[in-house]
Amino acid sequence: MKGMPSNSPLPLCQLPPHATGRIRELRGDSEFCQRIREMGFGESTYVTKVSGSHTILCQINGTRIALSHGAASQILVERIGSS
Amino acid sequence: MTPPAKPPGAPRSPVYAIVGNPNCGKSTLFNALTGLKQRVGNYPGVTVEKKTGTLYSQHGQPITVIDLPGSYSLAARSPDEAVTRDVLLGRRTDTPQPDRVLCIVDTTNLERNLYLVHQVLDLGRPVILILNMMDLVAQAGLSIRAARLEQMLGIPVIPCEAANGKGIIELKLAMSRHDLPLPRHAWDIPAAIASAVAELQASLVANGGKAPLIARAEALLLLTDQDSVRVAGSTPLDRRTEEILRSWQKRWEAEGMDWAGTLVSSRYEVIGRLAAEVVQTARVQTPTPSDRIDAIVTHPVWGWLALGAVMTLLFVSIFQFAQAPMDWIANGNAALANWIKRQMPEGDLRNLLTDGVIGGVGTIVMFLPQILILFFFIGLLESTGYMARAAFIMDRLMSRVGLNGKSFIPLLSSYACAIPGIMATRTIEDPKDRLVTILVAPLMSCSARLPVYLMMIAALLPGSSVSLAAKVGIMVLMYALGTLGAFGFAWLFKRTLLRGKPPLMIMELPPYRLPRLRDVFLHMVERAGLFLKNAGTIILAISVVLWFLAAYPKAPAGANATQQLAQSFAGRAGHAIEPLIKPIGFDWQIGIGLISSFAAREVFVSTMGVVFNAEAEGENTAPLTHALNAARWPDGRVLFTPLVCFTLMIFYVFAMQCMSTIAVVRRETNSWRWPIFQTAYMTGAAWIISFIVYQSGTALGF
Repeated sequence: MKGMPSNSPLPLCQLPPHATGRIRELRGDSEFCQRIREMGFGESTYVTKVSGSHTILCQINGTRIALSHGAASQILVERIGSS
Repeated sequence: MTPPAKPPGAPRSPVYAIVGNPNCGKSTLFNALTGLKQRVGNYPGVTVEKKTGTLYSQHGQPITVIDLPGSYSLAARSPDEAVTRDVLLGRRTDTPQPDRVLCIVDTTNLERNLYLVHQVLDLGRPVILILNMMDLVAQAGLSIRAARLEQMLGIPVIPCEAANGKGIIELKLAMSRHDLPLPRHAWDIPAAIASAVAELQASLVANGGKAPLIARAEALLLLTDQDSVRVAGSTPLDRRTEEILRSWQKRWEAEGMDWAGTLVSSRYEVIGRLAAEVVQTARVQTPTPSDRIDAIVTHPVWGWLALGAVMTLLFVSIFQFAQAPMDWIANGNAALANWIKRQMPEGDLRNLLTDGVIGGVGTIVMFLPQILILFFFIGLLESTGYMARAAFIMDRLMSRVGLNGKSFIPLLSSYACAIPGIMATRTIEDPKDRLVTILVAPLMSCSARLPVYLMMIAALLPGSSVSLAAKVGIMVLMYALGTLGAFGFAWLFKRTLLRGKPPLMIMELPPYRLPRLRDVFLHMVERAGLFLKNAGTIILAISVVLWFLAAYPKAPAGANATQQLAQSFAGRAGHAIEPLIKPIGFDWQIGIGLISSFAAREVFVSTMGVVFNAEAEGENTAPLTHALNAARWPDGRVLFTPLVCFTLMIFYVFAMQCMSTIAVVRRETNSWRWPIFQTAYMTGAAWIISFIVYQSGTALGF
């Protein structure tokens, strides 16, 4: 399940569809960070991108969450196991 | 210093509050518990609905239940969430602090849902935890050890399927208990902020008169409540506590410590340990039916087609199925008016009742079928989970004008009527986004404009010689103009008046469910009630005023209705505004229509009937069309040229001709400033655009 952590973190919006990443860092103001942490986007959570290029659809802990592009670009993830 | 006295401890039935994340089945549970014994009101000063209901314990005693707005956290971001927080903390004077709390969670996503539960457990009140959606848990390949959770938290934990009525009896039994245990809830506040919490807690007890456990919960909350959303009716923080909070924040900022993040992640740590004990993943997760539906409806191409199909169905239903009941109401109105005419001698009182009250309120009530159908569909879309997908699809388009997908739902509702649309903006978190949505919502062509469009199209393209396609084409053009206008003005406002941060939408897409028709119907009935209440008060008053303006001063005896109207206050007002509307091709007679249709746009049709002395019956505008085509300017020119008809339609697309909308905007924004601004900009835009169209049309020789 836990693959090798690959190179540098990338924003969630750049994660390819169906890939899974692990949240490394949250950017943006503290209000935004707190809000998405409370919704389960805490550091070291696994997130799978389902689809989307502008508005992003992703799966986190069994819940589907839609993020606008601006929000997704503030979430840095490291990609896990590229298969 | 003595803490203020507690409210008098008269024996009363226990008050329960229901809290939970959005989409966890909270309303379904509330409906299952209280049925029709619900009251919907408002929290004074805020436009958040206060829903309370009553159920009876197994001993036959009444229990009050308050349904609080759904929230992910007690750190509030919208007025809705602020109400949830303030009621639970006992900060509101209009609502007593609930004695006990029902926490409902979506069990398929236990970990995230437990975050709010964890905050509620801090309150030191008895809590009952309801594990809802147990039917979906098995489907998702999970199994939940409810008994273990009960043991770990020390509170009753009740597995439940609110949608199927399972577990409700067990819940009622638990609610009937006199001796609910307090949660066994010990978690270590991170060391770095523990002393701050202790100091704030002591200050809240000493200066705010809070009970110690509530004070601790509030102290923890103060640290994560970034920009405390304060709403009317909430007791403000005492000054001393405020000072302590500021000084700690300053110190941490200097140290570069992220105190809020620390607090959130330490809560999640505790929750993670709980979840690891309780949730067992039985098998590898496979794509669920929800995932397969999402693959289509959130697809960049199929998703748009699906949305288009749903919207087409919605509009066809609104205009198709509403016709018959609208005719019944129209006939009922006519029958009632005739009955009054037979019962009462001729006179002003009779005319007030038949023309003012029935003519004004009756025409508004005619829209009730459309509004019911609209709310039925919206309820259906929300109940199945599709609404969030529609917002997802629309987000990209909405972000072009600076709004996000959540504004789509209010704008969609506004196609039927701006009033429910404006009420639906309450779910938008960002106050500026919400205001922009309210400001542009009435530009979406509502169903009250339809009679005006139909009449003008009939006058514009008389007879059956013109193809249906041309008529439909003009109609579609009007709808498109309104929609473009709404987007254009939203774009403008977001760049000028209400410049805000770029929209960061985060929205949960709930799993698809079969619609719960009972909930949909309850919702529909509730909305219809609000609409009728509005019609019975504000619109009634305005109708009476407009009737007076049209009926006085009296014309000499023997004058017919047309002459009476011509020399009434309304007629004089029509003359008075003629210089203003002449540049857009309207004369004073049309001016009377513009003024009277301020009550509601479709009144324009009936006013034109009176002005031009034609008997127009309901939708049958044929005699009126002839009368319109015969109308002339004093110098003999044709009044309703095709260009004037077209300009008039465009005027109605943009002008704010609706008192009820103004009243609702006043209520929702809590000031007269925005409704006045809205009326000015919309009617101003209507005039300017009509001017351009009419003048260039004239110049081109139309």
